Amino acid sequence: MKQFLLKVEPVIWLLFGQGIMIGTMLLTGWVLVMGVLAPLGVVDSLSYEHAHGLASSLIGRVVLVALIALPLWKGAHHIRSLSIDFGGADRDTELATFLYGIASVGSLLAIVAVVRL
Amino acid sequence: MARPAHPQAMQPVKPGRTRTAPPTMPPQFPMTGRYRAYTLFDATGFLYLFVGFVALRVVWALGTGSAAWANIQQQLANPLYIGFHVITLAAVCFVAVRFFGLFPKAQPPRIGPLKPPPGPVIVGMLYAAWIGITVLMSAALMGGIS
Repeated sequence: MKQFLLKVEPVIWLLFGQGIMIGTMLLTGWVLVMGVLAPLGVVDSLSYEHAHGLASSLIGRVVLVALIALPLWKGAHHIRSLSIDFGGADRDTELATFLYGIASVGSLLAIVAVVRL
Repeated sequence: MARPAHPQAMQPVKPGRTRTAPPTMPPQFPMTGRYRAYTLFDATGFLYLFVGFVALRVVWALGTGSAAWANIQQQLANPLYIGFHVITLAAVCFVAVRFFGLFPKAQPPRIGPLKPPPGPVIVGMLYAAWIGITVLMSAALMGGIS
């Protein structure tokens, strides 16, 4: 597994880097409106029809997959890095497998979620 | 307080002839001096991982139907969710500011015949993209874009 992780490291770094760059750019507006302003009643929540119409367009689907999947990879890789810094190098292979597994499953579910819109 | 690092940290593939001291963690690690921002930057990973799954739940509910959509909106109004999102928003802004500041320093001096633009131009472009995408995303989520 350690050899496999080394082989796929460029892919993981690509997803991690885009998680920081694109994930952060997409998350700011999403968290601000969906997580804070709409729940507090500062702005109206999107109606189901409006939200579905936006999300089910091609651009909407691509944005939503990026919005869900890229932060997962950023999170997984940074937690792994934090673990190594805090003395977890001995269990790195197991933890990396677990974290990247979670990110992979989440990314696949993101694709399924936008396909079923 | 400096403590020993992992014995294999920074170990070369082949041992060299030069003797080296065993690696130790810097005394400022993890939350003193410049290491505080470094550690917090890594720790935002927990929030990113969690918020990714929250977004997945929202999109999944949207695909399930109008009742599930109304239900997830109600759940997001829970104070725990709101508190989590406020902390996440702060973390996202922290990541953006730190990463955009680091990005020009990570550029190669030359890519083939091309030179990257000066650092302040790169930072300006990143902030413009961030603000533009945030405004667009917010407008779409507030119903301003059909």
